[in-house]
Amino acid sequence: MNNFPLLVENLSFRYRDRKGAAIEKISFSAEKGELLLLAGASGCGKTTLVRAINGLIPRSYKGEVGGRVLLGGQDVANLSLAQISQRVGTVLQDPERQILGTKVINEVAFGLENMGLPRAEIIQRAEQALAILKISALRDRETFHLSGGEKQKVALAGVLAMRPSVLLLDEPLASLDPASALETLEMVRHLADEGLTILMVEHRVEDVLKIRPNRVMYMAEGQIRYLGEAAGLGDVVREREVKLPARMIAARAGSQPVTTVKFPAASDSDAQRPPLVRFENVTFGYESAREILHGINLEIRKGDVIAVLGPNGAGKTTFVKHAIGLLKPVSGRVTVNGKDTRQASVAEIASTLGYVFQSPSHMLFAPTVQEELAFGPKNLKHPPQEIEKQVKNALDVVNLKDKEADPPLSLSFGQQKRVSIAAILAMRSKILVMDEPTAGQDYFNYMNFMDAIVQMPGFDAILFITHDVDMAVIYANRVILVADGAVQADGRPEAVLKDFERLRACRVVPTSLLELNLEKLPETGQFLRAESLGSVL
Amino acid sequence: MLVAWRYRFRNSFVQSFDPRAWVIFYLCFLLSTLAFWDVRFLTPMLAIALFWLLSARLAWDEVRRPFLFIGGFVFVFALLTFLTGRGGSEVYTQEHLLRSFAASFTLLGWRPTLDITIERAFFALSQFVRVFSIAVMTILIPYSLNPAHYGITFRGLGLPDKIAYAMDLTMRFIPTFGRDFQLTMDAQRARGYELEKISGGLIEQVRKLGPLIVPVTIHAIIGSEDIIDAMDLRAFGMGPRTWLEELHYRRRDLILIAVGVLLLAASFSISFAGLGKFWVPPQLLP
Repeated sequence: MNNFPLLVENLSFRYRDRKGAAIEKISFSAEKGELLLLAGASGCGKTTLVRAINGLIPRSYKGEVGGRVLLGGQDVANLSLAQISQRVGTVLQDPERQILGTKVINEVAFGLENMGLPRAEIIQRAEQALAILKISALRDRETFHLSGGEKQKVALAGVLAMRPSVLLLDEPLASLDPASALETLEMVRHLADEGLTILMVEHRVEDVLKIRPNRVMYMAEGQIRYLGEAAGLGDVVREREVKLPARMIAARAGSQPVTTVKFPAASDSDAQRPPLVRFENVTFGYESAREILHGINLEIRKGDVIAVLGPNGAGKTTFVKHAIGLLKPVSGRVTVNGKDTRQASVAEIASTLGYVFQSPSHMLFAPTVQEELAFGPKNLKHPPQEIEKQVKNALDVVNLKDKEADPPLSLSFGQQKRVSIAAILAMRSKILVMDEPTAGQDYFNYMNFMDAIVQMPGFDAILFITHDVDMAVIYANRVILVADGAVQADGRPEAVLKDFERLRACRVVPTSLLELNLEKLPETGQFLRAESLGSVL
Repeated sequence: MLVAWRYRFRNSFVQSFDPRAWVIFYLCFLLSTLAFWDVRFLTPMLAIALFWLLSARLAWDEVRRPFLFIGGFVFVFALLTFLTGRGGSEVYTQEHLLRSFAASFTLLGWRPTLDITIERAFFALSQFVRVFSIAVMTILIPYSLNPAHYGITFRGLGLPDKIAYAMDLTMRFIPTFGRDFQLTMDAQRARGYELEKISGGLIEQVRKLGPLIVPVTIHAIIGSEDIIDAMDLRAFGMGPRTWLEELHYRRRDLILIAVGVLLLAASFSISFAGLGKFWVPPQLLP
């Protein structure tokens, strides 16, 4: 019994400064070579469980602990962090927050250096870890210049080099493009087959099921609600809590009436009007030597809901930053409402085009959520009564009405992200641009706020960058594929997303929802969400 | 994530030395320069600094921004000292007037007057040469030291493991802070915030900087907590550490250290002998 690599008995934890337990009476074990998927919505206690296993609880995060965690029969409470770290390897959601070394080899060697191993052994083990993950070619590269997927693998290599027997992965797919996510998943399967015990936290259940986890654990409100084979998950999971394969959802939904969220369509007269945003032959590079964008030509018109898809580092963010004038083209020009962005300040453009940044922590500053949301409209000199209404509306959309008086910085990451979106919504710009609005969000929340945003009156056009193909399937009426700093395809979702070969070349992997939709397209005539596909199955 | 300085290997003179030797030389140079106020002694120091700079194979494009910023700052500072006549009082007591310009108007009964004295002019010159020499050498550091060597360099200079690694992180924190500041600035501008249009009294102005200062500070704190967790999760501080990178002194490194120490000894000897204090050409004095 005591020889399980990981055994959790009756584990409870309450954070010192919070009411109520984050996790309660958790018990499970994992065998050698087992891949255990842990799914659940945000706030279900997944991350707390991970921290209790890797020892950050109670060492870095204080509070009341009950029960115990055994690693290979040894109680974690009796081990030092350094000793735990040689038994349990942890890869965090965002590799950016974990990488310390300037060069890849230094990063991978960091733990081994701390263990005080002889230099020759460090090099041998680090190189071996790189080889296992097939990234030996990155050995002498600078970590800062790696792509998101490469960073994730380097962080994993740094942990593997310490030869842990248990590996904890906390939403490792969150910041990866679909192809990188798939590669990471295959790597994880391979490591489990080699004998590593892996606990993988992920709410994109659909993706993880591809690599056949041995068992699935589903958590809600700090407790285990289900632990068993993946097939049984569909019966216990609440709707939209985690992302299940499209067929599973469709089958469960049965013949529900078709629900579609419709963005007000453009009328014929709109087509005659000048475009809202126009890119004319835009090229850009930070330094003269390296060009990032090559000759981008496109127009954003009234009625467009555009999904921008493409690999990490393709230039998507660089491209959309031109629309608000934060970056100015090296050659060519960008116009917003007919005005060249070179001739307008960012603040001026902000009144017509709202831009939601990827990272909320770079913008939140106010003492309350209410003041945070009022900041933009105040800068744009909206009348005070208007601002109050706009703030209330925006809070409604992102489901944070009860947090109005809370300091934004005390909220969870997912909630902060929603505040950052609401802060832009409150400005009531005509065009809304969002850079990865769903990253770090659980499925339930992002589906809900995307539904609400698309239905919000007053937007002429919406554009979002995403790695989630289903977002494009469900919400967009136009898809732009960007790779290598150029537009690879631009058109209706049904047209762009059916070319699987081109998608794969742009590191976009078709999802079960896309496949099902394409298969049923002759019957439905349009792309539908999984719940609505039940009637045509 | 910590951002690295824009380092690359340039096969330059400064990069041909062991980083420890270079840092020791730098410290000797720094102390030697601080020993003088005499522009005749400071000029050779500037020459040494310029020699390192010119042999560093840096393109003007790469260093234009820091040079314009720091150079401009040093220049404005020296100019202010010159115009106000404040700052030099501890090195000279007597002033000799060359010319005096008085404004044709008065402000609340006070008539702005610019007195140009020999001492003021030479003090401003000395100050500029002194600070600029140090600035030139300091700007070179991030461009010439390999970030992968920061930790081992400080370890090699005798600091304990933990402090050496902390120094390593600190060196990389500066450009990271710069990047975070830029991102925050962009994010707030996208919300209609305009730094240029901040008005009001001093306290009001500082308050209006909140949208920049708060996120940048919070980010720095969260960032350091992440770094601590990441280090803890990989056994940092459990015992004596092996450093992957190795440094070896060669002959040229020892020569550079010797030159640095000699420079320092010479400067201090000159200084103790009472030379190198503030100086103006006696021919100019009446």
